[in-house]
Amino acid sequence: MTPLRFEQLYQDEWAELEALLDRVLGRKVDDSYAHTEVSGARVAALYRRACEHLALARARSYPAYIVDRLERMTANGHQLIYRRHEFGFARVKEMLAVDFPSAVRRQVRYVAVATATFLLPAIVIGLLVYWRPELILSVVSSDTAASFEQMYSPATDSIGRVRAATTDWVMFGFYIRNNIGIAFQCFAGGLFASLGSLFFLGYNGAFSGAMAGYLTERGLAPTFYSFIATHSAFELTAIVLSGAAGLRIGHALLAPGRLTRRQALVEATQDSAIILYGVTAMLLVAAGIEAFWSSATWLAPGIKYGVAAMCWTAVLGYFTFQGRRAA
Amino acid sequence: VVAAETPEGILLELRPAGLSSRFYAFALDWLIRLAVLYSALIAASLVGGIGVAFWLILFFALEWFYPVAFELSPAGATPGKRILGLRVVMDNGLPVTAAASVTRNLLRAADFLPFGYGFAIVSILLRSDCKRLGDLAAGTLVLHEPRKVPRIFLDAVAPVVPAMPLAPQDQAALVALAARAPRLTGERLDELAALAAVVSGDAGQSGPDVTRRVLGVAQWVLGHRS
Repeated sequence: MTPLRFEQLYQDEWAELEALLDRVLGRKVDDSYAHTEVSGARVAALYRRACEHLALARARSYPAYIVDRLERMTANGHQLIYRRHEFGFARVKEMLAVDFPSAVRRQVRYVAVATATFLLPAIVIGLLVYWRPELILSVVSSDTAASFEQMYSPATDSIGRVRAATTDWVMFGFYIRNNIGIAFQCFAGGLFASLGSLFFLGYNGAFSGAMAGYLTERGLAPTFYSFIATHSAFELTAIVLSGAAGLRIGHALLAPGRLTRRQALVEATQDSAIILYGVTAMLLVAAGIEAFWSSATWLAPGIKYGVAAMCWTAVLGYFTFQGRRAA
Repeated sequence: VVAAETPEGILLELRPAGLSSRFYAFALDWLIRLAVLYSALIAASLVGGIGVAFWLILFFALEWFYPVAFELSPAGATPGKRILGLRVVMDNGLPVTAAASVTRNLLRAADFLPFGYGFAIVSILLRSDCKRLGDLAAGTLVLHEPRKVPRIFLDAVAPVVPAMPLAPQDQAALVALAARAPRLTGERLDELAALAAVVSGDAGQSGPDVTRRVLGVAQWVLGHRS
């Protein structure tokens, strides 16, 4: 069969398929098909025909413009037919109710390692700095130490970072940018054989520990702990979880098992991606609490500690119990 | 060229985009973000406190989720990539999924190291499928949108019966020559046609007449009969 004959025989089908695909994919449409009903079965049938025609055209070395036209429509049809649907509120609800906590439980070993990597330096450095406050200078500069001391001194109107003519909203924006950035670094560092995640977790742990030890030694414990208690339930957990997601992908690269390293990596990102959705949501909550609740000085510390205890219980309970399948 | 096989047994040819086009796309996106942030900053400074707050949130959103939002749109690419004719797809040619898009864009933080997207550049240069680290982890691919191949215009040429039997690859070569004919200079076309002159029984000769006869054979192969 000559190319022209081939084209004449089938071009009506092709034109119909192209028009249907354009309509469904929301591109500009050929007028003659603008009002026809789009039927999925028709698209699928035409798509399979076009696949056959493409195979024939390639085997018979038909001219490039015919092969190209068929390639184009089969690629579009393939995209349309095998597209994955994963949006909508039902999906978000399922993500929060089941997928996120169960993904965390599946990766519990990494969560444990990440927690240890964060907590151990925090405790060790914290105690060291509490014992000998001058050691704080080996972690941060003297200016930073002084500014932290000023921030948490009971004399300021609102705790946390010094508020010069700004509002809670500005701090909300600042916390979002800063904290989520830290969490994403903890995750992305995992791509370097987990070392980056371990480093960022350990560094942030050491930094937090140093601050806590220093401020406690300075006698600013009441303002400091009542400030951090509530939002840390979300913030520290989220940072540890994103570090755990990073460790997961790093471990997949180091020890891929029976898969190739690349397959292992792609597989590892499936749970990691779900954890990152959840982490982002948690950090948004944390930033909100940090900006509007933690910094309020008119609330009695007792109330803050009570709410903090509830938040910690809720977060830990969520990851322990939420979304378990009925046995 | 990377091939992806569909369940129908068809190989889709995906053409990965290399460093230069991706760099230009990135630079364009960067300029767009800069322009948006700058104009938002002006607006924010007029509004004051709450404006600054929204500016910071906007900064955060643009920093991390600008590519995600555009990659999940029907176009499958950020404005910069769209201008350069690039698109982000999964390894199998399907539209990029939300999880993959989030993964590849958050791993920019790793690609960025040690400075100026160093790891991304090395990875793109070394790999034949031009993936950066984020693409590797997410299983995604940045490719050139296929360009439309023009039809063959040979209306003025009368078909000529070939002087010898033509194997399929000979036919394909002749048709490809005919397709390129309008974009070649006359002299170059004559040179190329002289190489194929045996098909019209003019072996060893060259010139516009021979070229017309060789193109005539291509016309005949395409299916035109006088």
